[in-house]
Amino acid sequence: MTDRSAAAGSGIPHAEALVTFAEAVVGGDELQVATARQVLLDAVGPEALVDAAAVAANFERMDRIADATGIPLDAPMDLLTADLRSELGIDSFASSVNSPASGALKRALAPLLRPLGLRVLKIVARRIARQNAS
Amino acid sequence: MSAFDYTGVPVPIPEDIADAHRRFWERLASQGCWWTGAERVAIAAEVRRAADCALCRERKSALSPETPPGEHDRAGDLLPDAAVDAIHRVTTDPGRLSKSWYEKTQAAGLGDAHYVELIGILVALVSVDGFHRGLGISLEPLPEPVPGEPSRYRPAGARMEQAWVPMIAKPSGDEADLWKGITGNVIRALSLVPDAVRQLKELSTVHYVAVEKVADPSAGRTLSRAQMELIAGRVSALNECFY
Repeated sequence: MTDRSAAAGSGIPHAEALVTFAEAVVGGDELQVATARQVLLDAVGPEALVDAAAVAANFERMDRIADATGIPLDAPMDLLTADLRSELGIDSFASSVNSPASGALKRALAPLLRPLGLRVLKIVARRIARQNAS
Repeated sequence: MSAFDYTGVPVPIPEDIADAHRRFWERLASQGCWWTGAERVAIAAEVRRAADCALCRERKSALSPETPPGEHDRAGDLLPDAAVDAIHRVTTDPGRLSKSWYEKTQAAGLGDAHYVELIGILVALVSVDGFHRGLGISLEPLPEPVPGEPSRYRPAGARMEQAWVPMIAKPSGDEADLWKGITGNVIRALSLVPDAVRQLKELSTVHYVAVEKVADPSAGRTLSRAQMELIAGRVSALNECFY
């Protein structure tokens, strides 16, 4: 999420408080973290606050793994998000050089393929859930 | 008192999180594949020191992550310079790492497997400390190292692909438990040191969702999956993570 102002219009409950908390955890000082934590606690309660801290911690980890090992974007994600990455400015991140650049064709195909990709994702998720259950 | 005793913390910390943190602490103190327990704890100490490193602060705001020249504020002398630089750079400025920088660490004598194990320790500690920081909990004192020699285990199936480090494409034999079928590059990234992947999976399960359930949009916690992804997306954007 490159534009924090999009949080308000996302329709996600307590988006503003969640985003402010995430920002404080990544780059804020102790006072900013404490303030954001209290606002989020009041909004979502203690269990969800713990979830928020855990998720932020998780992505502090995953981002560094990706950036420190130079992995390219996974092929399906590369194909399905080519136009969005350009639109959101993600293609200008330094670590974008680790993935092949998206051409005009890929950017044009991405919005057409995305609905299909999401359907495939759901099928894969169901299949994995069945595998785990058996 | 045992490590990660969350009694008295004003919010309820699930026991599975406490257990995963304790297991990481035990592994941190013990020998790994390429570093001794003392070196692994020294890596953790260096991660914490990086937050207050004057050089890292200056470089973070500089146009180039390589300038100004200088020396990092080190936590100790046990680790080679290339390891210290890698720890400080990955901790404080991960979005501007480059292949040429990685190759310099290799030319300076830090082996690829040493590097991958170091990253595995670093990212686990960053997340555990980040969790504490987010909730206003004091950082856990680092564990006492346990004596022992590294195993020097290198999985036969690890190969160079597009990433900077060798990775396993399809785990088998002793690595068969790492993942089933196809998985994301971010899971494979640390597979040159299989225990680093096991560590990652354990922490991801308690901090986010199990690796096997990431593709399932219904997998969530008290927060909805949409709320979780909002946090994930904002953290990743601030870290300028393309992946």
